[in-house]
Amino acid sequence: MIRTGSKFFIGLAALNAATLIAYLLFVERLALGGVALSIVFAAVCGLSTVVLIVRDGDDEAQPVDAALVGASMWPLVTVLGVVLLAVGLVTTSAVFVIGIVVVLAALAEWAVQAWSESASDDPAHNAATRKRIANPIEFPVLATLGVGVVIFSFSRIMLAVSKSTGAVLFIVFGTIVLVGGSLFALRPGLKRSIVAGLCTLATLGIVAGGVASAGIGLRADLAEAATEGHYTHRECGPERSKYFDKLEMRTLSLRSNVIATVELRDGKLTARAYGIQSPTQSITIPRSNPVNVIFRNFDADEYRLVASPGKAVPDATEKPEELCTQLIPEGAEQSLTLTYAKPSIDRGPYSLFVAGLSGQSIEVVVP
Amino acid sequence: MSTLASLRRTVTKLGALIAGVVVTASCAKNAPQDTWAPKGPNAQMIDGLQKPVFAVAGVVGLIVLVALGWVLWRYKDRGQPIPEQTHGNPVVEITLTLIPALILAVIGVFTVRVIFDLAKTDDTEMVINVTGQQWWWEYDYPVQNEFGITQPIVTSGQIVFPAGTKVLLRETSRDVIHSYWIPALNGKRDAVPGRIHTLRLEADEPGIYAGQCTEFCGLSHANMRMEAIALSKEDFAKWVANQQAPYVSPADGSLAKEGEAVFLNQCVRCHQVDGLQRPDGTLAIAAPDQNVWSGAAPNLTKLMTRNTFAGAIFDMLTPACRPGVWNASSSDFGGKYLAGVSEDCLNVNDLRAWLRNAPEVKPMYANPDQLAATNGKVRGMPNLGLSESDIDKLVAYLLTLK
Repeated sequence: MIRTGSKFFIGLAALNAATLIAYLLFVERLALGGVALSIVFAAVCGLSTVVLIVRDGDDEAQPVDAALVGASMWPLVTVLGVVLLAVGLVTTSAVFVIGIVVVLAALAEWAVQAWSESASDDPAHNAATRKRIANPIEFPVLATLGVGVVIFSFSRIMLAVSKSTGAVLFIVFGTIVLVGGSLFALRPGLKRSIVAGLCTLATLGIVAGGVASAGIGLRADLAEAATEGHYTHRECGPERSKYFDKLEMRTLSLRSNVIATVELRDGKLTARAYGIQSPTQSITIPRSNPVNVIFRNFDADEYRLVASPGKAVPDATEKPEELCTQLIPEGAEQSLTLTYAKPSIDRGPYSLFVAGLSGQSIEVVVP
Repeated sequence: MSTLASLRRTVTKLGALIAGVVVTASCAKNAPQDTWAPKGPNAQMIDGLQKPVFAVAGVVGLIVLVALGWVLWRYKDRGQPIPEQTHGNPVVEITLTLIPALILAVIGVFTVRVIFDLAKTDDTEMVINVTGQQWWWEYDYPVQNEFGITQPIVTSGQIVFPAGTKVLLRETSRDVIHSYWIPALNGKRDAVPGRIHTLRLEADEPGIYAGQCTEFCGLSHANMRMEAIALSKEDFAKWVANQQAPYVSPADGSLAKEGEAVFLNQCVRCHQVDGLQRPDGTLAIAAPDQNVWSGAAPNLTKLMTRNTFAGAIFDMLTPACRPGVWNASSSDFGGKYLAGVSEDCLNVNDLRAWLRNAPEVKPMYANPDQLAATNGKVRGMPNLGLSESDIDKLVAYLLTLK
């Protein structure tokens, strides 16, 4: 006799097979979704087989006298997921994705609960069966989510408060965790409810702080930097840039794809193209392919190498952006990655020069 | 005769037949990518290593096979009792470990020495940038005044260099990993996006040396070929001078002039011809970065000085004219190669087929319904839907690019 649990999984497998066929027929073959549905189908078939073989895990089950099933929160969570799906459709894809995750998780939990409640007529045994199957998955997932929420909330707090306050907060928080953990360890007899209550309070406090901080927004200097692109926009003049030249790199680990090395020595700029022995004032760079140029400064002052972007297209709305290294001191080196999609005769002349040093440049030829 | 004996005889005959076919196939004369026929010092270095290694490995293999065969025959089951079993013989085991270790150590010393010699760059005389993309090779020659190269030269399909000159290839790729291999001149070297790898190339004598991409790189990997053209130093200087010669527009009113207009309307979207001007006098600049996934298409300046097209899978010369260049003696080769492709010798059938529908003759991801993954950009030349009349004009125009 095929029992209720087995019927459920066989039905699930049939539904999955129909979904897979419909997907392959009407959506797209050989797409990721088809692969995922195939895997799910195989998994459900495997589960159906196992459940059939073990006869729902209870040879002595008494379905006739089975107790009524208990209350379940999963229908509610599924509905919440469906609402998120609908909201996500008209707002952002992130909400939609969260909706998918919630719906899938709720359906999985609902399925496991429904299956476990038909295992026997003993509710306690059924609950234990459900725990045995679901807890090894639930606990790591919930723990990961919980830790993620705490970390995210804490990061919002750190981004909202001033630098010095952030440092103090970090020390205080770390100290609380250390001291609290030590006290719990020293008092093993402490009631679990007290430990759980304190941890819950601390978590709620951080999450509340995170929500409040997110509402306040980034602290002023970060907001300004993000707005003006201090860390992405390169300032290529001879003077020191407040943000771009901050903590300049002086040594270079990059040694691949180097088309040429440009050196500044005694006020003169020369290039050495890889493979060509003699110094040159002209280097050739293949078109539409990124290459690296290494800049070495052997002079006493700080200098930066600048790559001219060539002429702008007459009708272009945006001016091509200059590329440059940071300002580097004597003995330091940095690299520039250059990609020229247009030949020199069109957008050129291209060149490499040192900001603030007139009369010295390296011609860049792009065939 | 028993069934078993009959089966054994059939298997023996089949084995002999297969062995005969393999042996006779290895005697092919028309094998331009023969790895056992080095034509330059780098390939000779490899050859000087691989032949002794092959001989040693062959002798070892033979000894093992004979020993195995003798053991199988000598001790096959004839119903005799199981002989006395021995477990371990330190002297034999140590000897049989030391001998291979010694052989491998000797081979290792010579191999490392060859590897280091092949990696040398300090004696380079000439540099050529080599860029692989699906499914053709681009060569650009940086300015090198000592060879008369006063402005960059860009070509494809055939790499041209002076014989007896140490050439350093700086290889890279614009899309996926390719591998550059001219068996007669050196070993393989991968062309990897974001990296520059070097490969030495040197030919003893003028001639054509065939090669093939040896890293699977997509749909038309098998159709990604190359030819290395070694010219005498004098002929190379002539080639350089011709490559740098200014563009000459076809005569007004000619079919080629009409072809130039078709080229400006269709082909120049991707293909550059240096010096070609639009009717308003501005230079026609190709924009392969907007149309091709790799960001490049072959530069067709002086196209008819090359003997191949479409990633070197088609000969530009007819079968009647091709042997005249390929089989020329090293002293005559340069003159014949530099003569380029004449109208009589143009392989017009393959060229027309290519212009008519390129993806049909060389598999490429160039169909409009396959471009979603590449943001609408093609891999390879698409079908441009040219009329036969336009193809006539284009062929006439391309013939002038010498």
